[in-house]
Amino acid sequence: MTWVSACKIEDIEQEGAVRFDHGGRTYAIYRGPDDSVYCTAGLCTHEAIHLADGLVMDFEVECPKHSGAFDYRTGEALRLPACENLKTYPAEVIDGEVRVALS
Amino acid sequence: MDDLKYGKRNKRGDWAPNDPVETAPLFAFPPKLMAILKWLPHYFFPWNVIFALSAVAYWAWVIPPVETMRTLAIGWALWLYAVNAVCVFLFYGAFELHLYVLKRQENRFKYNGRFPSDQKNNVFWFDRQNVDNMLRTFLSGVTIWTAIEVAMLWAYANGYAPWLTFAENPWTLALVALVVPIIHEFHFFCIHRLIHVPFLYKWVHSVHHNSVNPSPWSSLSMHPVEHFLYLGTAFYHLILPSNPVLMLYQLHYAGFGAIPGHVGFDKVEVGEDKLVDSHSYAHYLHHKYFEVNYGDALIPLDKWFGTWHDGSPEGEARMQERYRRRKEKLAARKARTEVRGAAE
Repeated sequence: MTWVSACKIEDIEQEGAVRFDHGGRTYAIYRGPDDSVYCTAGLCTHEAIHLADGLVMDFEVECPKHSGAFDYRTGEALRLPACENLKTYPAEVIDGEVRVALS
Repeated sequence: MDDLKYGKRNKRGDWAPNDPVETAPLFAFPPKLMAILKWLPHYFFPWNVIFALSAVAYWAWVIPPVETMRTLAIGWALWLYAVNAVCVFLFYGAFELHLYVLKRQENRFKYNGRFPSDQKNNVFWFDRQNVDNMLRTFLSGVTIWTAIEVAMLWAYANGYAPWLTFAENPWTLALVALVVPIIHEFHFFCIHRLIHVPFLYKWVHSVHHNSVNPSPWSSLSMHPVEHFLYLGTAFYHLILPSNPVLMLYQLHYAGFGAIPGHVGFDKVEVGEDKLVDSHSYAHYLHHKYFEVNYGDALIPLDKWFGTWHDGSPEGEARMQERYRRRKEKLAARKARTEVRGAAE
C-alpha cells in the first residue's frame, strides 16, 4: 500500500467530494460534515459514473445518474439501483494535505 | 400555503407527506362500506372525471364518422395524431409551465427538492431531461397512442369489437365506465412488473426510469415497446362489451392519466387556498427506489405481492430488508463466479 498526496483539504467542500485520478484509476475523496476525509473507488458500481459529481449529504453520496447511494465511510451500497459495495481506501490529512493509501 | 402543515422537508430539501399512502378501501375484507362511501368522491374527482369528459369531447368533436373509420386511411389517422399531440402539449405543458417553468408554487409540496433543469445529465438525449422526455413523448408516445386509437376505432366501425349503445345498455356501460380505472391499474401492474424483469428492464423500461426526479414530461417518456404495452390497455375493449367512448376513456386514462403520477408535487395549488391532490407519492417512491410500488393505490396488488411502500418507516424497513437480501444474493453469486474463475 502506498500513501499518495491527493489534494489540499480546502479543495474539498464540507460534505463534498472531488475526483482523484492516479495510476490509470479513478477515485473519489470526500470531506464529511465533521471534516473527516474518506476515499472510495471513483465510479458507481451500477453504471460506472463518477461519484464525485454526485450529491454528498452527511456520510452518504448519491450517484448523479440514477440516485444509487453509498455510505462513503464503509463503501456500503444503501439504495437501488446500486447493489454492489464500493471499494474504500484509507485517507488522512497531514498539514492540510489529503493523503490516500492506494494498493 | 404552508406545506409543512401537511408534511416535512429534509436537509436536502425533499418534501414528504406526514401520513402514509393508503390503498383504496375497495378490496378491504371484511368490506368497509362507510370507508368506501367516504373515499368515492376522490375516485371521481378531479382526475377520472377529467379523463372521462375528454373522451366524451373527443367523440363529439374529434372522432370521424363511422363511415370514414371503416377504411384505414392516413387522413383521419393524421388528424387524430394532430389532435392528440396538441392536447398532450396543452395538458402536459400546463403543468410544466405552472410548476416547472414559472415555478408558481416554488418547491412547496415537491417530493424532490431539486428541479430537473438544475442539472445536466448525459443519460438523456442532448443531456436535458425535458428535451429527451418531450421528444420521446411526441415521436413515439403520441404516435403509438394514435395507432392504437385508430386500430380500435377501425375495429368498432367494422364490427370486430362489441359495441353496446348507451340507450340500450345504460347500466352495463355505467359499470364498464366504473371499472375502467380498475382495468387500468390491473393492466399497469402486470406490464410494469413484466418490464422490471432484468432483460426487459435493461432494454426497455430503463428509459422511463432515467427520470429519477420525474416531471410532467416524464409521464410518457418511454421506450416504444413500453408505449405499446402501456397504452395497449385499450385492447381490453376488443373483448369487453363496451362502447368507443369508454375505449377512449380507457386510452385517455393511460395517456393523459400518466400526468398526475409524474407531476413531482404531492399537491397542486390552485388559487390562494385550494389544493388538488396528485395522489402520486406511491409512484414517486417507485421512481426513487425502483423495486417498490409497481402499481398504484387503487388495487392493493403491491401489498399482496410484498412490494408495497407507503412512505412510512415500516414501509422503508420492509424495502431495506428486501434490498439486503438481494445484495447478499448478488454478493454470493459474484463470489461463486470468482471461485469458479480462479479454479479455471
